[in-house]
Amino acid sequence: MFSRNIVLTVLGLLVAVSLIAAPVSAAPPVKGNNQIDFENLPPKETLFSALFGAGDIPTLDPSLAEDTTSIQMGLELFVGLTRLNEETAEVEPGMATEWKISDDGLVYTFTLRKGIPWVRFDRSTGEVVVVEDEQGNPRYVTAHDFVYGVKRTLDPKTGSNYAYVNWIIKNAQAVNGGSELGDQDPLYGKVDEIGVRAVDDYTIEYTLAQPAAFFPGIASMWINWAQPRWLIEEKGEKWIEAENIQSYGPYALGDWTHDVSATLVANPHWPGTEAVPKPSIKYIHFTMLDESPSFANYEAGLADVSGVPLTEMDRVKADPVLSKELSIAPELCSYYYGFNVTKPPFDDVNVRKAFSWAVNRQAIVENVTKGGQEPARWFSRPGLTAAPDPAKDDFGPPVAGDPAKAKEFLAASKYGSADKLPEITLMVNQVEAHVKIAEAIQQMWQEALGVKVNLVTQEWKVYLDTLDSDPPQVWRLGWCYDYPDADNFARGVFRSDSGNNHTRWKNAKFDQLVDQAAIETDLDKRRALYVEAEKILVEEDAAIIPIYWYTRVQVTKPYVTRTYSIGGHEHYEKWKINK
Amino acid sequence: MGRYIARRLLWLLVVIFSVSLITFAIAHAVPGGPFSREKKLPPAVLKQLNEKYRLDDPLWKQYVDYMGGIFIPRITQGEPITSYLEDYLINIPLGEYTLRWMNFGPSYKSQSRTVNDVFRENLPVSAELGLYAFLVASLIGIPLGIVAALKQNTLVDYLAMAIAIFGVSVPVIVLGPILIWLFAIRIPIFLPTGWGSLRAEVLPSIALGLGSSAIIARLTRASLLQVIREDYIRTARAKGLMERVVIIRHALRNSLIPVVTVMGPIFAFLVTGTFVTETIFGVPGMGRYFVTSITNRDYPVIMGTILLFAVVIVIANLVVDLLYAWLDPRIRYD
Repeated sequence: MFSRNIVLTVLGLLVAVSLIAAPVSAAPPVKGNNQIDFENLPPKETLFSALFGAGDIPTLDPSLAEDTTSIQMGLELFVGLTRLNEETAEVEPGMATEWKISDDGLVYTFTLRKGIPWVRFDRSTGEVVVVEDEQGNPRYVTAHDFVYGVKRTLDPKTGSNYAYVNWIIKNAQAVNGGSELGDQDPLYGKVDEIGVRAVDDYTIEYTLAQPAAFFPGIASMWINWAQPRWLIEEKGEKWIEAENIQSYGPYALGDWTHDVSATLVANPHWPGTEAVPKPSIKYIHFTMLDESPSFANYEAGLADVSGVPLTEMDRVKADPVLSKELSIAPELCSYYYGFNVTKPPFDDVNVRKAFSWAVNRQAIVENVTKGGQEPARWFSRPGLTAAPDPAKDDFGPPVAGDPAKAKEFLAASKYGSADKLPEITLMVNQVEAHVKIAEAIQQMWQEALGVKVNLVTQEWKVYLDTLDSDPPQVWRLGWCYDYPDADNFARGVFRSDSGNNHTRWKNAKFDQLVDQAAIETDLDKRRALYVEAEKILVEEDAAIIPIYWYTRVQVTKPYVTRTYSIGGHEHYEKWKINK
Repeated sequence: MGRYIARRLLWLLVVIFSVSLITFAIAHAVPGGPFSREKKLPPAVLKQLNEKYRLDDPLWKQYVDYMGGIFIPRITQGEPITSYLEDYLINIPLGEYTLRWMNFGPSYKSQSRTVNDVFRENLPVSAELGLYAFLVASLIGIPLGIVAALKQNTLVDYLAMAIAIFGVSVPVIVLGPILIWLFAIRIPIFLPTGWGSLRAEVLPSIALGLGSSAIIARLTRASLLQVIREDYIRTARAKGLMERVVIIRHALRNSLIPVVTVMGPIFAFLVTGTFVTETIFGVPGMGRYFVTSITNRDYPVIMGTILLFAVVIVIANLVVDLLYAWLDPRIRYD
C-alpha cells in the first residue's frame, strides 16, 4: 500500500522538478548548429583559452561593459576609432585612418576607414556573413554608427557605468545627468546636444568641453564603438545574444553557451590593417573556469593558455617544462593603503610618512604575493602614458622601506613616540590575499615603529560602504586603468573632488598640477607634471602608502606565438598556432 | 495519507512566504547594494540603474512586486520579449495570446542572465551532479555502515570507519584537486573539468559524494548497533530465522530511520548546487549563483536560489516522513 503511495509521490516530485527544468513552451536558447561542433573544434585551427575566470560573461553590450571579460570579448568583435597597442599602450589607428586636432585642442576630426561591413555568424552555414539592409545591400560601418554608440552610452536611459569617462565631450556631463542639477538640468537626456556629429558618412567630429591630451585614448574605449542601431531597436537588450549579435571586428561571435564557454570565429570580411591584422587563428574557444581548474586543463593538454593559481607558483617556477612556458607581464593596476587624514594620528603628516617608510615592499612581493609583482613607490603605474618611470625617476618611499628614517619621522611628529599614539585600526576587505598582506605590514609597523595596529576585516560591499561613509584610519584599495594614461590614476582618484578619493586629503597644488597635465599636449612636460604631483601625493603629504604594481602570470604552450598585453586585454588577431 | 500530503504541501506555501519575507528583509538590511563598487558610480548613473531595476521603490513595494511577478500569471499579446527584466518560467500559448507565469527577475551581475535562465540551464546540471553524488554517498555509505556494525570491533570495522573518518575529514577542496591530478593529469582517464560526458562527470560525483557517504556510514553503523540489541531482534533470532533475514528484514529497516532523516537534507543540499565542487571541477551548475549572489547583492538571484532551496528541502523532508512509515510499520499518518 505504502510503497505505491511513495512511488506516486516520487513521480509527482519528478514531474515538479521537470516542470522547473523544462518549461512548457519557453523559447529555448538556440545552441550549436549543423555546421560546426563548438565542443569539438579542430585543434590546429583553434586556440583553447582559459584566461577568462569563472562565471558568465556579464554582457557584450559596449555601452554596459565594465569588466575585463566583457571588454576582452568586445575588443575582438569591435574596433574603436583608435586602438591601443596591447604591448605598449600606445594609441594606434583603429577604424579611423587619421585624426586632426584643432588649434585650440577642442575639436577632434576622425576619418573613417571605408568598406568595413557589419557581419554576423550564420548558424545554418557555419560562416561569417555580411549583414544586409532592407534593400539587400551590404551594411558598411559608417560615422553614424559611431555617433549612435557615443550617444547611446551617454543616454541616461542606458545606465552606462563608464559614461562618465565621456564627460570630457561637450555637454556630455549635463546630458548624462552628471551636472550639479542632475536630471533637472535643461540638457538632461538630450543626446543630440552632445558634442559629437557625423560630418559625412566617413567623418566624425568630436567637440570637447576642455582640451584633453588623452582623448585619442578615450576614443579607443568600448563606450565609443560603433553600434548597430537597427538591431538594437529590433531586439532590445537581447541584441547581444549569439543568435542576434552583429559586429565588424577581426572576429565574430560563433557561440555563447552561458556560464560554460564562448567561441569567436575569424571574420573573413575584416580586411586587416597594420594595427589590427587579419586573424591567423580561426577559432578562439574560451572556457569560463576558475584559475585552478583552468590550470588543470592546461596541464591535461586541454587548454593552450591559462592563468596560474598562486598556490602553484612555486611548483611552476621549479618545473623544467612549465617554467619555460611561464610569463609574467605587467598589468596596469596599483595596490595601495590610504590614510584617513582627518583622523588622528594620521592628521599629522610625519606619522603618515613614518608608516609609509616602515613598509618593506620588496619583502611583500617576494614573500607574500609571490606573483612577480613590482614594489611600488608611487601611484600611477609605470607603463601608463605620462606616468613616472622607475628608470628615470627617483622619489617616494624606498622599495625596501627605511625603518631608521621611519623612526625619525615618528619622533618629529607631534606625538613624538609610539606609546603616545592613539589606538590605530587598519581595515581591509575579507579576502585571504589582502589579509596576508595586512598581517605582514602589521608586523613591519610593530618591528620598525613599535606600534601595535588592530586589523579589522569586512565583507567587500560592507567595506565599500564604510570607505564611503566613515573611512577607517588606514585602509586598502586597488585601482586599474580605464584608459592607459596617468590622468586616469592621478586626477581620476586623488583630485580633491574625486568620488574615489577616500583619504579626505585635499591639496590645491596637486589639483592644479593634474589639471594642467590633463590639457598639456607635450608628453615630456606632462610626465614632469605627474612626477611633481605624485611627489606631493606619496612623499610630501604621504596621503597613501603605495605597495605594489600588478602583474599577470600566465602559461602558454610552446606552439603558440603570441603578444603579451599589459592592459589585461589580449589581441588574439595577432596570435598564431604552429602545430 | 493523501490528506496528509495535501496538508504538508499547503504548509509549503507558508514556508515559501516566510522564507521569502525573511530572505528579502535580510538581503536588503545588509549594507551595500548591487551597484556599490570600487570605482564609484556617478549619482546620476546610480539613479538610472536603481530606476531600471525599481530599487528606488519603497521596500514593501519591491517585495510585493517581486512576489507578484512570481505568483500572479499574466496574459500578453504578440511581441516577443526583448528585455532581461521579463522572463517567465511557464509560457502557455493561447492563440494570439500567451499566458505567462513565474518571473523570478533578472540578475544584476550577469546582465544577460535571468534567474529563470539559472533554473532552466544551471539547476539541471547541479541536480544531476547532486543525484550522482547522492547515489555514490548511499551506495558506499550504507553498505560500509552495515559491514562495520555486523563486524563490530574487528579489523573490518576499524577499516570501514577509518575510510569514513577520512571521508568526513578530507574536504572536497583537498580531495578534488588530488583526484584531478591523479586521474585527469597523471593517468588521463577522466577530464579535469566540464560536464555532459561520462568522462567529465565521474570525478566530481565521487568527490562530492564521498564526504556524505562517510556521514551516512557512521550513522548507519551506530543505529544498526542499537537496533540489533532490541528485544524484537532477539525474538526474531529465537524464532529461528536465518541471520540474513533477521538483519535485512528486521534490523536494517528500522535502523535506517535516523539515516533517512539526515539523507533528506543531504539530498536537498547536493541537488541545489555545491559551490566548491562545481568551482574546482568547472561544472556549470548553480552553486556559483547561490554563493556569489550574496556577495554581489544580486537580490533576485538571492531570492530565487533560496526559495528554490526551501522548496526542495520541504519536499525532501516530506519524502523522508513518508519513508518513515514504510520503514517502521508502527508509524502512521492517518
